[in-house]
Amino acid sequence: MKNRLKDLRTERNWTQADLAQRAGVSRQTINAIETGKFDPSLPLAFSLAKLFALRIEELFLDDQ
Amino acid sequence: MKARNEIKATARLALWTLAWVATLALASFPSLWDSQPVASWAAVAASLAVGIGMIVAHARLLREMDELQRKIMLDALAISLGAGFVGGMAYVVADAADLIAFDADAGMFPVLLGIVYLIAYAVGNLRYR
Repeated sequence: MKNRLKDLRTERNWTQADLAQRAGVSRQTINAIETGKFDPSLPLAFSLAKLFALRIEELFLDDQ
Repeated sequence: MKARNEIKATARLALWTLAWVATLALASFPSLWDSQPVASWAAVAASLAVGIGMIVAHARLLREMDELQRKIMLDALAISLGAGFVGGMAYVVADAADLIAFDADAGMFPVLLGIVYLIAYAVGNLRYR
């Protein structure tokens, strides 16, 4: 699933490790989400959206 | 906090695994239990009990992992279980049909499961690198 995670993260000068720590997951997970290899669970998606003060649909883009 | 819990759970699993291997080695040391079936049964029971502790520790580690790592581990466990069934049955059937020179040994199954699990886990991690 496409997402704006990388763009939003770099706007704030956060590394993947920074974002991973704030989201309570591993850096590997953040990298996998950013590259579209892994879709997060709903709780994690909500958690990430909350970190950027956005709605989920503003962070994750429907491929269809 | 979550990373710390995961490290603790990993350390606990490592300790339980070492304990299980030690009890298993003790139980399978034949000269220690010659003519002492009660002691031998006690050693086997101890190995079983510690093995159950190891399984519980593994389940706890799975709960502490983050979702991607949990997915990688569960995928590897599924593949190794399937390989154990399919490969194991092929091995038994080959033995029954006299296709292999030696008798099928039950000790091969944990080895097969372990090797397949390690490969599947490594491939899973590479896939999501």
